[in-house]
Amino acid sequence: MAARSLRAHLLQMLLPPIAALLVLGALVAYYPSLEPATTAYDQGLIDAGISLGTYIHTAEGGAYRLELPSAVDQVLRRDSYDSVYYRVLGPNGEAIAGDDGLPGPPPEREARDGFIAYDTAYKGQKIRAVAVPAKCGEAACSVVVAETTVKRKRMTRGILFSSLLPEILIAIATVLIVWFGVKRGLGPLARLSDEIKSRSPGDLRPIAAADTPEETRPLVSALNGLLDEVAQASRNQQRFLANAAHQLRTPLAGLQAHTELALSKRLPTEVRAELEQVHQATIRTARLANQLLALARAEPGARGNAAELNLKALAETEADAWVHQALARDVDLGFELDWAPVQGDAFLLREALGNLVHNAIEYSPRGARVTVRTGRNGTHSFLEVEDDGPGIPLPERERVLERFYRVPGTPGTGSGLGLAIVREIAAGHGATISITDAMGGLSGTRGCRVAITFPHG
Amino acid sequence: MRLLIVEDDAPLATGLRRILEAEGHAVDVTSRGEQAVLAAAQERFDLVILDIGLPQMDGFEVLRRLRTASPDKNGPMPVLVLTARDAIDDRVRGLDLGADDYMVKPFAMPELTARVRALLRRSQAHGGPRIVHGPLALDTVARRAFLKNEPLELAAREWAVLEVLLGKVEKIVSKEAIIQAVAGWGDDLSPNAIEVYVSRLRSKLEPAGIKIRTVRGFGYMLEEYKGP
Repeated sequence: MAARSLRAHLLQMLLPPIAALLVLGALVAYYPSLEPATTAYDQGLIDAGISLGTYIHTAEGGAYRLELPSAVDQVLRRDSYDSVYYRVLGPNGEAIAGDDGLPGPPPEREARDGFIAYDTAYKGQKIRAVAVPAKCGEAACSVVVAETTVKRKRMTRGILFSSLLPEILIAIATVLIVWFGVKRGLGPLARLSDEIKSRSPGDLRPIAAADTPEETRPLVSALNGLLDEVAQASRNQQRFLANAAHQLRTPLAGLQAHTELALSKRLPTEVRAELEQVHQATIRTARLANQLLALARAEPGARGNAAELNLKALAETEADAWVHQALARDVDLGFELDWAPVQGDAFLLREALGNLVHNAIEYSPRGARVTVRTGRNGTHSFLEVEDDGPGIPLPERERVLERFYRVPGTPGTGSGLGLAIVREIAAGHGATISITDAMGGLSGTRGCRVAITFPHG
Repeated sequence: MRLLIVEDDAPLATGLRRILEAEGHAVDVTSRGEQAVLAAAQERFDLVILDIGLPQMDGFEVLRRLRTASPDKNGPMPVLVLTARDAIDDRVRGLDLGADDYMVKPFAMPELTARVRALLRRSQAHGGPRIVHGPLALDTVARRAFLKNEPLELAAREWAVLEVLLGKVEKIVSKEAIIQAVAGWGDDLSPNAIEVYVSRLRSKLEPAGIKIRTVRGFGYMLEEYKGP
């Protein structure tokens, strides 16, 4: 289903009844006001007809004549908008004077108050006419006075406009109220979505229902229900991971203990070689188990609680273990540690830093220098590990961050997970990861520098 | 030395026992936290190796009970905690529960034996006046040092620095930590001054095969004595 705008929906519901009301209102206002206006204009024609009737005279021999002074004729016919016509008819309907061919009243029309008002056409124009009775001596004559309908149309338009204008304004106001009212009414929802958007993926605290309007309470409580379930699932996953860690690592520790014990004994060369393989595989498996568990813990939703940490302190507590790794590979591991506060998960950041140091030590030649740095770059805390090993060729730098990818021709038996874990953890902290050449390595090697820069804070 | 291993994984427990027995220690093994607490109440062990992930009474609880038990005249029993590096990990790392050291499973045996030796040495130094490191011996009461049984001349600050390093064999000691330990002797010390003392110590000790390693930008580490 396509997303429907609440505004469009409301307007769709509101506009047809509003339009209907508008038409109805216009009609209700129009017709009652039209009739008095028409009557008033008709009355003007009637008055003209009556006064025309007074100019009928009886001539010698019983004929009738209209003796109309030309000045009167001019006054009668003068009108700003319309052409005025008249015709005087004798007792038997014969034309006495006036405009020839001006149509008389329809025969079926009955007179009202003695007059007949009717619509007809003359000279190709619509006209309004009235038939007014007049006296021709003792006989009854009639006078027809007519005018074109220009001013009547103007009046009609005027009435229509003045009755429609308020209605149109009301309709416009309604649309505006709906448009802005919906925006205003949905304000709390927008704030709610902002709050949810600004959350980190691991933040599963319930949304405070106190400052949301009554109508959004069901939504908030449904969301909180979901958040609670997700948090519960996340706690279950953490518990599972803790158990899995224990269940996996303890037997691996046993396996490692026994292979090392066996290797410390006097053994036939072939058996020793085989056992050496078992021992190496054990160490690799242990590391892989650690990495997979770290990766699972770095997944959004599985994250632990973020806390105020100092990367310097984090590196210092791990330094011991790293130095022993470095000594075993004859690598000169050094530190340049400065205060570097971050918001983060200590376990994951330790894992990320550990992976970077492990990689640097593992893939650098004997006698290489590896340096661990922490500090502040303006307002951003960073940690970085630099080595003077073979470096990572430019085209490979994106790919080494992918899971299980290893640069072709890399010695050793890594899983290709280390940097993927680092990337995952960096992303979870909103940090960026960059791989560059080392600043100053031994001549002939480009070295490698992996830096994680944390967001402003 | 008398050691107690508290570990419920039988293969790992046996492995550890054999390795430590090969080092010349007397080793008892139990898989239950309750038994460990009982055993420790009845006799003194020179070191307890304690797994955190025990069934029923877990390692944290065992540790708490060991620490709240009536204090031994020889001081608290050293405890090396084994952890499977999971959610509870951070509590172990803080060592605020009173463990003396911890190791994350799985671990290399040479590292374990080195840690065990360091802890045993530390607890002896704690109780006894004599610190021995290969051919080097320090009599902390008489404040006299011997190298290959010959008297060794050490200036007061050299002695202080060496004592700090001997307390943490195979562990990195930061320059700040050394300064803090030595500054009690007098005025402010600069990191450069520490470098001078260490270099003097080196020239005296290295001919006998005792190595002080520099950890660039951090501090120093007295290596285990591996022979001349």
